[in-house]
Amino acid sequence: MIVARRMLADRRRATAWWAIGTAALVVFTVALYPAVKDQAQVEDLLKTMPEAFRNMIGYDAAVPMTSPAGYLHARLFSTVAPVLFLVFGIGAGAAAIGGLEETGRLEPLLANPVTRARVAAERYAAAIGLLTLLGVVFAVTLAASGRPAGALAGISAGHLIAAAAAMLALAVLHLSLAYAIGAATGRRGPSVAIPAAVAIGSYLIHSLLPMAEALAPVRYALPWYWYLQRNILAQGLPPAALIAPLAMSGVLFAIGWAAFQRRDLR
Amino acid sequence: MNGPAIHTDALTKRFGTLTAVDQLDLRVERGEVFGYLGPNGAGKTTTIRMLLDFVRPTSGTSQVLGGSGADPAVRARIGYLPADLPVDPRWTAQTLLDFYGDLRGRRDRTWERTLLDRFDLDPSRPVGELSTGNRRKVGIVQAASHRPELLILDEPTSGLDPLLQQEFLILIRELVTDGATVFLSSHVLPEVEALAGRVAILREGVVVAQAGITELRRTARTRIDLRLTVPADPAPFAALPTVVEATADGDLLRLVVEGSVDAVIKTAAALPVEQIITHEADLEDVFLSYYTTQDGGRS
Repeated sequence: MIVARRMLADRRRATAWWAIGTAALVVFTVALYPAVKDQAQVEDLLKTMPEAFRNMIGYDAAVPMTSPAGYLHARLFSTVAPVLFLVFGIGAGAAAIGGLEETGRLEPLLANPVTRARVAAERYAAAIGLLTLLGVVFAVTLAASGRPAGALAGISAGHLIAAAAAMLALAVLHLSLAYAIGAATGRRGPSVAIPAAVAIGSYLIHSLLPMAEALAPVRYALPWYWYLQRNILAQGLPPAALIAPLAMSGVLFAIGWAAFQRRDLR
Repeated sequence: MNGPAIHTDALTKRFGTLTAVDQLDLRVERGEVFGYLGPNGAGKTTTIRMLLDFVRPTSGTSQVLGGSGADPAVRARIGYLPADLPVDPRWTAQTLLDFYGDLRGRRDRTWERTLLDRFDLDPSRPVGELSTGNRRKVGIVQAASHRPELLILDEPTSGLDPLLQQEFLILIRELVTDGATVFLSSHVLPEVEALAGRVAILREGVVVAQAGITELRRTARTRIDLRLTVPADPAPFAALPTVVEATADGDLLRLVVEGSVDAVIKTAAALPVEQIITHEADLEDVFLSYYTTQDGGRS
Protein backbone atom coordinates (compact mmCIF):
# COMPACT_ATOMS: atom_id res chain seq x y z
CA MET A 1 0.00 0.00 0.00
CA ILE A 2 2.94 2.33 -0.64
CA VAL A 3 1.06 4.34 -3.26
CA ALA A 4 -2.03 4.70 -1.05
CA ARG A 5 0.07 5.71 1.95
CA ARG A 6 1.76 8.40 -0.13
CA MET A 7 -1.61 9.83 -1.20
CA LEU A 8 -2.83 9.86 2.42
CA ALA A 9 0.36 11.64 3.47
CA ASP A 10 0.07 14.17 0.64
CA ARG A 11 -3.47 15.07 1.64
CA ARG A 12 -3.13 14.87 5.40
CA ARG A 13 -2.97 18.62 5.97
CA ALA A 14 -5.99 19.44 3.82
CA THR A 15 -7.89 16.55 5.39
CA ALA A 16 -7.03 17.80 8.87
CA TRP A 17 -8.62 21.16 8.03
CA TRP A 18 -11.71 19.41 6.68
CA ALA A 19 -11.91 17.36 9.88
CA ILE A 20 -11.68 20.49 12.02
CA GLY A 21 -14.39 22.15 9.95
CA THR A 22 -16.64 19.10 10.15
CA ALA A 23 -16.20 18.80 13.91
CA ALA A 24 -16.90 22.52 14.33
CA LEU A 25 -20.07 22.24 12.28
CA VAL A 26 -21.31 19.31 14.40
CA VAL A 27 -20.51 21.03 17.70
CA PHE A 28 -22.12 24.28 16.58
CA THR A 29 -25.29 22.52 15.37
CA VAL A 30 -25.60 20.48 18.54
CA ALA A 31 -25.02 23.53 20.73
CA LEU A 32 -28.00 25.28 19.16
CA TYR A 33 -30.37 22.43 19.94
CA PRO A 34 -31.33 23.49 23.50
CA ALA A 35 -32.54 26.81 22.10
CA VAL A 36 -34.79 25.08 19.55
CA LYS A 37 -36.28 22.18 21.42
CA ASP A 38 -38.91 24.16 23.39
CA GLN A 39 -40.12 26.24 20.47
CA ALA A 40 -43.29 24.51 19.36
CA GLN A 41 -44.09 27.31 16.92
CA VAL A 42 -41.28 26.11 14.63
CA GLU A 43 -43.30 22.99 14.11
CA ASP A 44 -46.48 24.98 13.39
CA LEU A 45 -44.65 27.26 11.00
CA LEU A 46 -43.24 24.31 9.06
CA LYS A 47 -46.68 22.78 8.68
CA THR A 48 -47.76 25.85 6.73
CA MET A 49 -44.81 25.64 4.34
CA PRO A 50 -45.08 24.12 0.82
CA GLU A 51 -44.23 20.45 0.61
CA ALA A 52 -41.26 21.03 -1.69
CA PHE A 53 -39.68 23.26 0.90
CA ARG A 54 -40.35 20.80 3.72
CA ASN A 55 -38.78 18.08 1.60
CA MET A 56 -35.76 20.18 0.97
CA ILE A 57 -34.97 20.66 4.63
CA GLY A 58 -35.74 17.04 5.38
CA TYR A 59 -38.92 17.62 7.35
CA ASP A 60 -40.85 14.53 8.17
CA ALA A 61 -44.32 14.89 9.77
CA ALA A 62 -43.79 11.72 11.78
CA VAL A 63 -40.68 13.13 13.47
CA PRO A 64 -41.21 16.55 15.07
CA MET A 65 -38.62 19.17 14.23
CA THR A 66 -38.12 19.86 17.91
CA SER A 67 -37.20 16.27 18.72
CA PRO A 68 -33.46 15.46 18.59
CA ALA A 69 -33.86 13.14 15.60
CA GLY A 70 -36.00 15.66 13.72
CA TYR A 71 -33.65 18.51 14.50
CA LEU A 72 -30.41 16.71 13.60
CA HIS A 73 -31.94 15.31 10.43
CA ALA A 74 -33.15 18.70 9.26
CA ARG A 75 -30.17 20.76 10.33
CA LEU A 76 -27.34 18.32 9.71
CA PHE A 77 -28.01 15.01 7.96
CA SER A 78 -30.24 16.21 5.14
CA THR A 79 -28.53 19.53 4.40
CA VAL A 80 -25.10 20.83 5.33
CA ALA A 81 -23.34 17.60 6.27
CA PRO A 82 -23.97 15.64 3.05
CA VAL A 83 -22.95 18.70 1.01
CA LEU A 84 -19.69 18.81 2.96
CA PHE A 85 -19.08 15.11 2.44
CA LEU A 86 -19.97 15.22 -1.24
CA VAL A 87 -17.62 18.13 -1.90
CA PHE A 88 -14.79 16.40 -0.08
CA GLY A 89 -15.55 13.04 -1.70
CA ILE A 90 -15.74 14.42 -5.22
CA GLY A 91 -12.46 16.27 -4.65
CA ALA A 92 -10.72 13.12 -3.39
CA GLY A 93 -12.15 10.98 -6.18
CA ALA A 94 -11.10 13.47 -8.86
CA ALA A 95 -7.61 13.77 -7.38
CA ALA A 96 -7.02 10.00 -7.38
CA ILE A 97 -6.25 9.73 -11.11
CA GLY A 98 -7.63 12.69 -13.09
CA GLY A 99 -6.03 15.39 -10.98
CA LEU A 100 -2.71 13.58 -10.72
CA GLU A 101 -2.56 12.93 -14.44
CA GLU A 102 -3.54 16.45 -15.47
CA THR A 103 -0.66 17.90 -13.46
CA GLY A 104 1.72 15.45 -15.15
CA ARG A 105 2.58 13.81 -11.84
CA LEU A 106 1.27 10.40 -12.82
CA GLU A 107 3.97 9.56 -15.38
CA PRO A 108 6.98 9.85 -13.05
CA LEU A 109 5.09 7.62 -10.60
CA LEU A 110 4.31 5.05 -13.30
CA ALA A 111 7.95 4.94 -14.39
CA ASN A 112 8.53 3.08 -11.13
CA PRO A 113 7.97 -0.64 -10.73
CA VAL A 114 4.21 -0.40 -10.27
CA THR A 115 1.40 -1.50 -12.55
CA ARG A 116 -1.36 0.85 -13.56
CA ALA A 117 -3.81 -1.55 -11.92
CA ARG A 118 -2.03 -1.18 -8.60
CA VAL A 119 -1.79 2.61 -8.76
CA ALA A 120 -5.46 2.91 -9.72
CA ALA A 121 -6.63 0.55 -6.97
CA GLU A 122 -4.45 2.00 -4.24
CA ARG A 123 -5.35 5.59 -4.98
CA TYR A 124 -9.06 4.72 -5.00
CA ALA A 125 -8.62 3.00 -1.65
CA ALA A 126 -6.80 6.05 -0.30
CA ALA A 127 -9.59 8.38 -1.44
CA ILE A 128 -12.16 6.15 0.26
CA GLY A 129 -9.97 6.06 3.34
CA LEU A 130 -9.80 9.85 3.55
CA LEU A 131 -13.57 10.17 3.22
CA THR A 132 -14.14 7.45 5.82
CA LEU A 133 -11.79 9.23 8.18
CA LEU A 134 -13.91 12.36 7.83
CA GLY A 135 -17.03 10.25 8.48
CA VAL A 136 -15.53 8.84 11.66
CA VAL A 137 -14.62 12.35 12.85
CA PHE A 138 -18.21 13.40 12.15
CA ALA A 139 -19.81 10.49 14.00
CA VAL A 140 -17.44 10.58 16.95
CA THR A 141 -17.83 14.35 17.38
CA LEU A 142 -21.60 14.00 17.23
CA ALA A 143 -21.63 11.17 19.75
CA ALA A 144 -19.34 13.04 22.11
CA SER A 145 -20.91 16.49 21.91
CA GLY A 146 -24.54 15.49 21.38
CA ARG A 147 -25.21 13.92 24.74
CA PRO A 148 -24.42 16.92 26.98
CA ALA A 149 -26.70 19.10 24.85
CA GLY A 150 -29.49 16.54 24.96
CA ALA A 151 -29.40 16.38 21.16
CA LEU A 152 -29.11 12.59 21.12
CA ALA A 153 -32.03 11.81 23.42
CA GLY A 154 -34.00 8.92 22.00
CA ILE A 155 -31.44 8.19 19.26
CA SER A 156 -29.77 4.81 19.60
CA ALA A 157 -26.07 4.44 18.89
CA GLY A 158 -26.99 2.05 16.11
CA HIS A 159 -29.20 4.59 14.39
CA LEU A 160 -26.55 7.27 14.73
CA ILE A 161 -23.93 5.06 13.13
CA ALA A 162 -26.41 3.96 10.46
CA ALA A 163 -27.25 7.56 9.53
CA ALA A 164 -23.58 8.50 9.31
CA ALA A 165 -22.86 5.37 7.26
CA ALA A 166 -25.69 6.10 4.83
CA MET A 167 -24.43 9.65 4.36
CA LEU A 168 -20.92 8.29 3.80
CA ALA A 169 -22.28 5.81 1.25
CA LEU A 170 -23.92 8.66 -0.67
CA ALA A 171 -20.58 10.50 -0.71
CA VAL A 172 -18.70 7.31 -1.70
CA LEU A 173 -20.99 7.00 -4.70
CA HIS A 174 -20.14 10.51 -5.90
CA LEU A 175 -16.47 9.96 -5.10
CA SER A 176 -16.56 6.84 -7.26
CA LEU A 177 -18.19 8.67 -10.11
CA ALA A 178 -15.49 11.38 -9.92
CA TYR A 179 -12.83 8.66 -9.78
CA ALA A 180 -14.22 6.78 -12.77
CA ILE A 181 -14.43 9.91 -14.93
CA GLY A 182 -10.91 10.95 -13.93
CA ALA A 183 -9.55 7.47 -14.58
CA ALA A 184 -11.22 7.27 -17.97
CA THR A 185 -10.33 10.77 -19.18
CA GLY A 186 -7.20 11.77 -17.29
CA ARG A 187 -8.72 15.15 -16.63
CA ARG A 188 -9.72 16.81 -13.40
CA GLY A 189 -12.30 19.30 -14.71
CA PRO A 190 -14.99 16.85 -15.83
CA SER A 191 -14.33 14.53 -12.92
CA VAL A 192 -15.31 17.36 -10.56
CA ALA A 193 -17.97 19.03 -12.67
CA ILE A 194 -20.00 15.99 -13.72
CA PRO A 195 -20.47 14.46 -10.25
CA ALA A 196 -21.26 17.92 -8.85
CA ALA A 197 -23.89 18.42 -11.55
CA VAL A 198 -25.27 14.95 -10.91
CA ALA A 199 -25.50 15.64 -7.17
CA ILE A 200 -27.22 18.99 -7.59
CA GLY A 201 -29.48 17.84 -10.43
CA SER A 202 -30.61 14.68 -8.69
CA TYR A 203 -31.16 16.60 -5.46
CA LEU A 204 -33.43 19.07 -7.21
CA ILE A 205 -35.33 16.30 -8.95
CA HIS A 206 -35.67 14.45 -5.68
CA SER A 207 -37.05 17.42 -3.80
CA LEU A 208 -39.35 18.68 -6.55
CA LEU A 209 -40.60 15.42 -7.99
CA PRO A 210 -43.17 14.57 -5.29
CA MET A 211 -45.33 17.30 -6.79
CA ALA A 212 -45.58 15.44 -10.08
CA GLU A 213 -47.37 12.23 -9.20
CA ALA A 214 -46.85 10.52 -12.54
CA LEU A 215 -43.08 10.82 -12.30
CA ALA A 216 -42.88 9.54 -8.74
CA PRO A 217 -41.27 6.19 -9.69
CA VAL A 218 -38.25 8.08 -11.02
CA ARG A 219 -37.40 8.91 -7.43
CA TYR A 220 -36.57 5.33 -6.61
CA ALA A 221 -33.56 5.59 -8.93
CA LEU A 222 -32.14 8.64 -7.19
CA PRO A 223 -29.27 8.30 -4.68
CA TRP A 224 -30.77 11.14 -2.67
CA TYR A 225 -33.99 9.18 -2.36
CA TRP A 226 -32.15 6.13 -1.04
CA TYR A 227 -30.56 8.31 1.57
CA LEU A 228 -33.42 10.69 2.45
CA GLN A 229 -36.43 8.39 2.08
CA ARG A 230 -36.76 8.35 5.85
CA ASN A 231 -35.26 9.80 8.99
CA ILE A 232 -32.63 7.16 9.74
CA LEU A 233 -31.90 8.62 13.19
CA ALA A 234 -35.51 8.00 14.23
CA GLN A 235 -36.58 5.11 12.05
CA GLY A 236 -33.45 3.12 11.32
CA LEU A 237 -31.63 2.22 8.15
CA PRO A 238 -33.41 1.20 4.97
CA PRO A 239 -31.02 -1.41 3.51
CA ALA A 240 -31.09 0.27 0.11
CA ALA A 241 -29.44 3.37 1.61
CA LEU A 242 -26.25 1.37 2.01
CA ILE A 243 -26.47 -1.43 -0.52
CA ALA A 244 -27.53 0.57 -3.57
CA PRO A 245 -24.87 3.32 -3.44
CA LEU A 246 -22.08 0.92 -2.47
CA ALA A 247 -22.97 -1.54 -5.22
CA MET A 248 -23.02 1.27 -7.76
CA SER A 249 -19.71 2.54 -6.38
CA GLY A 250 -18.22 -0.89 -6.95
CA VAL A 251 -19.38 -0.84 -10.56
CA LEU A 252 -18.04 2.69 -11.12
CA PHE A 253 -14.68 1.76 -9.60
CA ALA A 254 -14.43 -1.30 -11.83
CA ILE A 255 -15.23 0.75 -14.94
CA GLY A 256 -12.68 3.44 -14.09
CA TRP A 257 -10.04 0.92 -13.06
CA ALA A 258 -10.42 -1.05 -16.30
CA ALA A 259 -10.61 2.01 -18.56
CA PHE A 260 -7.46 3.45 -17.01
CA GLN A 261 -5.45 0.36 -17.93
CA ARG A 262 -6.58 0.35 -21.54
CA ARG A 263 -5.99 3.92 -22.60
CA ASP A 264 -3.06 6.20 -23.38
CA LEU A 265 -1.97 8.61 -20.70
CA ARG A 266 -2.47 12.23 -21.59
CA MET B 1 21.70 -10.21 -20.02
CA ASN B 2 21.66 -11.04 -23.71
CA GLY B 3 19.85 -9.20 -26.44
CA PRO B 4 19.50 -5.48 -26.95
CA ALA B 5 18.53 -3.06 -24.18
CA ILE B 6 15.91 -1.48 -26.41
CA HIS B 7 14.46 -3.01 -29.52
CA THR B 8 11.60 -1.58 -31.53
CA ASP B 9 10.06 -3.13 -34.60
CA ALA B 10 8.06 -0.91 -36.95
CA LEU B 11 6.86 1.02 -33.90
CA THR B 12 4.19 3.49 -34.96
CA LYS B 13 2.03 5.95 -33.06
CA ARG B 14 -0.72 8.04 -34.55
CA PHE B 15 -2.70 10.67 -32.69
CA GLY B 16 -5.74 11.17 -34.88
CA THR B 17 -4.36 12.18 -38.26
CA LEU B 18 -0.93 13.06 -36.89
CA THR B 19 1.71 10.36 -37.16
CA ALA B 20 4.00 11.11 -34.23
CA VAL B 21 6.28 8.10 -34.73
CA ASP B 22 6.36 6.19 -38.00
CA GLN B 23 7.73 2.65 -38.51
CA LEU B 24 10.53 3.05 -36.00
CA ASP B 25 13.19 0.34 -35.95
CA LEU B 26 15.67 0.93 -33.17
CA ARG B 27 18.22 -1.36 -31.62
CA VAL B 28 20.14 -0.12 -28.62
CA GLU B 29 22.80 -2.55 -27.46
CA ARG B 30 23.62 -3.19 -23.83
CA GLY B 31 26.26 -0.88 -22.46
CA GLU B 32 26.13 1.74 -25.18
CA VAL B 33 25.10 5.38 -25.04
CA PHE B 34 22.57 5.92 -27.75
CA GLY B 35 21.77 9.46 -28.80
CA TYR B 36 18.23 10.12 -29.98
CA LEU B 37 18.30 13.41 -31.77
CA GLY B 38 15.68 15.56 -33.31
CA PRO B 39 14.02 18.93 -33.14
CA ASN B 40 11.17 19.51 -30.72
CA GLY B 41 8.04 17.75 -31.85
CA ALA B 42 9.91 15.13 -33.87
CA GLY B 43 8.46 12.30 -31.78
CA LYS B 44 11.29 11.70 -29.29
CA THR B 45 9.15 11.96 -26.18
CA THR B 46 6.37 9.92 -27.79
CA THR B 47 8.92 7.16 -28.43
CA ILE B 48 9.98 7.20 -24.78
CA ARG B 49 6.37 7.20 -23.64
CA MET B 50 5.75 4.10 -25.74
CA LEU B 51 8.84 2.39 -24.32
CA LEU B 52 7.50 2.99 -20.80
CA ASP B 53 3.92 2.01 -21.71
CA PHE B 54 2.49 5.47 -21.02
CA VAL B 55 0.99 5.38 -24.50
CA ARG B 56 0.30 2.29 -26.57
CA PRO B 57 1.62 1.92 -30.11
CA THR B 58 -0.85 2.08 -32.99
CA SER B 59 1.17 -0.73 -34.55
CA GLY B 60 4.55 -2.36 -34.14
CA THR B 61 6.24 -3.58 -30.98
CA SER B 62 8.89 -2.54 -28.52
CA GLN B 63 11.01 -4.45 -26.05
CA VAL B 64 12.91 -2.95 -23.15
CA LEU B 65 15.56 -5.01 -21.33
CA GLY B 66 14.11 -8.09 -22.94
CA GLY B 67 10.59 -7.49 -21.67
CA SER B 68 7.72 -5.05 -21.73
CA GLY B 69 8.00 -1.52 -20.40
CA ALA B 70 4.71 -2.19 -18.60
CA ASP B 71 6.25 -4.94 -16.49
CA PRO B 72 7.21 -3.76 -12.99
CA ALA B 73 10.18 -6.13 -12.98
CA VAL B 74 11.50 -4.33 -16.07
CA ARG B 75 10.71 -0.86 -14.73
CA ALA B 76 12.64 -1.65 -11.56
CA ARG B 77 15.78 -1.74 -13.72
CA ILE B 78 15.07 1.54 -15.54
CA GLY B 79 15.94 5.06 -14.45
CA TYR B 80 13.75 7.63 -16.16
CA LEU B 81 14.49 11.32 -16.27
CA PRO B 82 11.57 13.18 -17.84
CA ALA B 83 12.10 16.51 -19.60
CA ASP B 84 10.38 18.08 -16.65
CA LEU B 85 9.93 16.33 -13.31
CA PRO B 86 6.42 17.23 -12.21
CA VAL B 87 6.03 16.07 -8.62
CA ASP B 88 4.08 17.48 -5.71
CA PRO B 89 5.85 20.79 -4.95
CA ARG B 90 5.62 20.09 -1.22
CA TRP B 91 7.74 16.97 -1.55
CA THR B 92 11.36 17.25 -0.62
CA ALA B 93 14.11 15.42 -2.49
CA GLN B 94 14.15 13.05 0.47
CA THR B 95 10.39 12.39 0.20
CA LEU B 96 10.87 11.56 -3.46
CA LEU B 97 13.83 9.25 -2.83
CA ASP B 98 11.99 7.51 0.03
CA PHE B 99 8.82 7.04 -2.00
CA TYR B 100 10.51 5.80 -5.15
CA GLY B 101 12.98 3.77 -3.08
CA ASP B 102 10.10 1.96 -1.35
CA LEU B 103 8.43 1.28 -4.69
CA ARG B 104 11.66 -0.04 -6.19
CA GLY B 105 12.15 -2.24 -3.18
CA ARG B 106 15.92 -2.09 -2.88
CA ARG B 107 17.82 0.92 -1.70
CA ASP B 108 21.42 1.96 -1.43
CA ARG B 109 21.28 4.86 1.00
CA THR B 110 25.02 5.47 0.84
CA TRP B 111 24.80 5.89 -2.91
CA GLU B 112 21.75 8.18 -2.55
CA ARG B 113 23.70 10.28 -0.04
CA THR B 114 26.67 10.41 -2.42
CA LEU B 115 24.47 11.56 -5.29
CA LEU B 116 22.85 14.30 -3.20
CA ASP B 117 26.30 15.51 -2.14
CA ARG B 118 27.73 15.40 -5.64
CA PHE B 119 24.92 17.53 -6.96
CA ASP B 120 25.00 19.71 -3.89
CA LEU B 121 21.32 19.16 -3.05
CA ASP B 122 19.67 19.84 0.26
CA PRO B 123 17.34 16.81 0.61
CA SER B 124 15.06 18.56 3.09
CA ARG B 125 13.93 21.45 0.89
CA PRO B 126 10.55 21.23 -0.85
CA VAL B 127 10.94 20.70 -4.58
CA GLY B 128 8.55 23.59 -5.23
CA GLU B 129 11.01 26.03 -3.68
CA LEU B 130 13.91 24.92 -5.85
CA SER B 131 15.24 26.67 -8.95
CA THR B 132 14.82 24.99 -12.34
CA GLY B 133 18.41 23.78 -12.23
CA ASN B 134 18.03 22.32 -8.77
CA ARG B 135 14.79 20.58 -9.73
CA ARG B 136 16.69 19.12 -12.66
CA LYS B 137 19.27 17.79 -10.23
CA VAL B 138 16.56 16.12 -8.15
CA GLY B 139 15.41 14.45 -11.37
CA ILE B 140 18.92 13.20 -12.12
CA VAL B 141 19.42 11.89 -8.60
CA GLN B 142 16.12 9.98 -8.56
CA ALA B 143 16.86 8.50 -12.00
CA ALA B 144 20.26 7.22 -10.88
CA SER B 145 19.55 6.38 -7.23
CA HIS B 146 18.86 2.69 -7.83
CA ARG B 147 21.80 2.16 -10.20
CA PRO B 148 19.53 1.24 -13.09
CA GLU B 149 20.60 -0.99 -15.96
CA LEU B 150 18.98 1.35 -18.43
CA LEU B 151 18.76 5.12 -18.17
CA ILE B 152 16.17 6.86 -20.30
CA LEU B 153 17.00 10.54 -20.30
CA ASP B 154 14.85 13.18 -21.94
CA GLU B 155 16.74 16.44 -22.49
CA PRO B 156 18.88 15.76 -19.41
CA THR B 157 21.10 18.81 -19.17
CA SER B 158 18.68 21.57 -20.10
CA GLY B 159 18.68 24.07 -17.25
CA LEU B 160 21.98 22.86 -15.77
CA ASP B 161 24.90 25.23 -15.49
CA PRO B 162 28.18 24.14 -17.15
CA LEU B 163 29.75 22.91 -13.91
CA LEU B 164 26.80 20.66 -13.18
CA GLN B 165 26.64 19.50 -16.79
CA GLN B 166 30.21 18.33 -16.26
CA GLU B 167 29.22 16.51 -13.06
CA PHE B 168 26.32 14.96 -14.94
CA LEU B 169 28.59 13.75 -17.75
CA ILE B 170 30.97 12.22 -15.20
CA LEU B 171 28.08 10.44 -13.48
CA ILE B 172 26.71 9.02 -16.71
CA ARG B 173 30.16 7.82 -17.80
CA GLU B 174 30.58 6.17 -14.42
CA LEU B 175 27.27 4.35 -14.75
CA VAL B 176 28.15 3.28 -18.28
CA THR B 177 31.51 1.97 -17.08
CA ASP B 178 29.56 -0.13 -14.58
CA GLY B 179 27.57 -1.58 -17.45
CA ALA B 180 24.53 0.70 -17.76
CA THR B 181 22.90 1.47 -21.08
CA VAL B 182 21.84 5.05 -21.80
CA PHE B 183 19.10 6.21 -24.12
CA LEU B 184 19.69 9.91 -24.46
CA SER B 185 17.04 11.99 -26.15
CA SER B 186 17.88 15.56 -27.00
CA HIS B 187 17.52 18.41 -29.40
CA VAL B 188 20.73 19.96 -28.11
CA LEU B 189 23.69 18.42 -29.87
CA PRO B 190 26.69 19.00 -27.62
CA GLU B 191 25.23 16.90 -24.80
CA VAL B 192 24.71 14.01 -27.18
CA GLU B 193 28.09 14.47 -28.83
CA ALA B 194 29.81 14.35 -25.45
CA LEU B 195 28.32 10.99 -24.48
CA ALA B 196 26.85 9.03 -27.32
CA GLY B 197 28.60 6.39 -29.38
CA ARG B 198 25.76 6.07 -31.83
CA VAL B 199 22.93 8.37 -32.76
CA ALA B 200 19.65 8.23 -34.57
CA ILE B 201 18.29 11.40 -36.05
CA LEU B 202 14.54 11.68 -35.94
CA ARG B 203 12.53 14.02 -38.04
CA GLU B 204 8.74 14.17 -38.11
CA GLY B 205 8.52 10.73 -36.57
CA VAL B 206 10.91 9.09 -39.02
CA VAL B 207 14.54 8.12 -38.43
CA VAL B 208 16.40 9.90 -41.22
CA ALA B 209 19.87 8.74 -40.20
CA GLN B 210 21.36 6.20 -37.84
CA ALA B 211 25.13 6.01 -37.49
CA GLY B 212 28.13 6.05 -35.21
CA ILE B 213 29.25 9.44 -34.02
CA THR B 214 32.60 9.16 -35.83
CA GLU B 215 30.88 8.11 -39.02
CA LEU B 216 28.58 11.08 -38.80
CA ARG B 217 31.54 13.35 -38.20
CA ARG B 218 33.17 11.94 -41.33
CA THR B 219 30.24 13.00 -43.42
CA ALA B 220 29.95 16.20 -41.47
CA ARG B 221 30.26 19.50 -43.16
CA THR B 222 33.25 21.64 -42.45
CA ARG B 223 33.47 25.35 -42.97
CA ILE B 224 36.85 26.59 -44.25
CA ASP B 225 37.69 30.23 -44.84
CA LEU B 226 40.79 31.06 -46.91
CA ARG B 227 42.29 34.55 -46.71
CA LEU B 228 44.25 35.27 -49.86
CA THR B 229 46.60 38.07 -50.83
CA VAL B 230 44.73 38.52 -54.12
CA PRO B 231 41.01 38.94 -54.83
CA ALA B 232 39.32 35.54 -54.39
CA ASP B 233 37.67 33.58 -57.19
CA PRO B 234 35.24 30.84 -56.00
CA ALA B 235 34.89 29.19 -59.43
CA PRO B 236 37.64 26.48 -59.18
CA PHE B 237 36.42 25.47 -55.74
CA ALA B 238 32.76 25.42 -56.69
CA ALA B 239 33.66 22.89 -59.36
CA LEU B 240 34.95 20.38 -56.77
CA PRO B 241 32.47 17.58 -55.92
CA THR B 242 33.06 17.85 -52.16
CA VAL B 243 32.37 21.59 -52.03
CA VAL B 244 28.79 22.38 -51.18
CA GLU B 245 29.12 26.11 -51.15
CA ALA B 246 31.80 28.57 -52.29
CA THR B 247 31.51 32.32 -52.01
CA ALA B 248 34.00 35.17 -52.23
CA ASP B 249 34.11 38.28 -50.12
CA GLY B 250 37.01 40.48 -51.25
CA ASP B 251 40.14 38.47 -50.48
CA LEU B 252 38.22 36.03 -48.31
CA LEU B 253 37.04 32.72 -49.75
CA ARG B 254 34.28 30.98 -47.79
CA LEU B 255 33.81 27.27 -48.38
CA VAL B 256 31.50 24.61 -47.01
CA VAL B 257 32.98 21.15 -47.54
CA GLU B 258 31.22 17.84 -47.09
CA GLY B 259 33.44 14.92 -46.11
CA SER B 260 37.15 15.03 -47.00
CA VAL B 261 38.85 18.42 -47.38
CA ASP B 262 41.70 16.91 -49.43
CA ALA B 263 40.63 18.25 -52.82
CA VAL B 264 40.13 21.72 -51.39
CA ILE B 265 43.63 21.82 -49.89
CA LYS B 266 45.18 20.62 -53.16
CA THR B 267 43.36 23.30 -55.12
CA ALA B 268 44.27 25.97 -52.58
CA ALA B 269 47.97 25.02 -52.80
CA ALA B 270 48.22 26.88 -56.09
CA LEU B 271 46.96 30.11 -54.53
CA PRO B 272 48.74 32.67 -52.33
CA VAL B 273 46.98 31.70 -49.07
CA GLU B 274 47.69 33.96 -46.13
CA GLN B 275 45.46 32.33 -43.52
CA ILE B 276 43.25 29.25 -43.14
CA ILE B 277 40.35 29.48 -40.74
CA THR B 278 38.51 26.22 -40.02
CA HIS B 279 35.45 25.70 -37.95
CA GLU B 280 35.49 22.30 -36.29
CA ALA B 281 33.03 19.73 -37.55
CA ASP B 282 29.95 20.22 -35.51
CA LEU B 283 27.16 17.71 -35.24
CA GLU B 284 24.85 20.63 -35.58
CA ASP B 285 25.88 20.95 -39.20
CA VAL B 286 25.21 17.29 -39.82
CA PHE B 287 21.93 17.67 -38.08
CA LEU B 288 20.97 20.79 -39.98
CA SER B 289 21.84 19.24 -43.29
CA TYR B 290 19.37 16.45 -42.62
CA TYR B 291 16.95 18.91 -41.31
CA THR B 292 17.02 21.40 -44.14
CA THR B 293 18.09 19.58 -47.29
CA GLN B 294 16.08 16.40 -47.06
CA ASP B 295 12.59 17.41 -47.88
CA GLY B 296 11.44 13.86 -47.44
CA GLY B 297 8.13 14.37 -49.21
CA ARG B 298 6.14 14.00 -46.00
CA SER B 299 3.42 16.35 -45.04
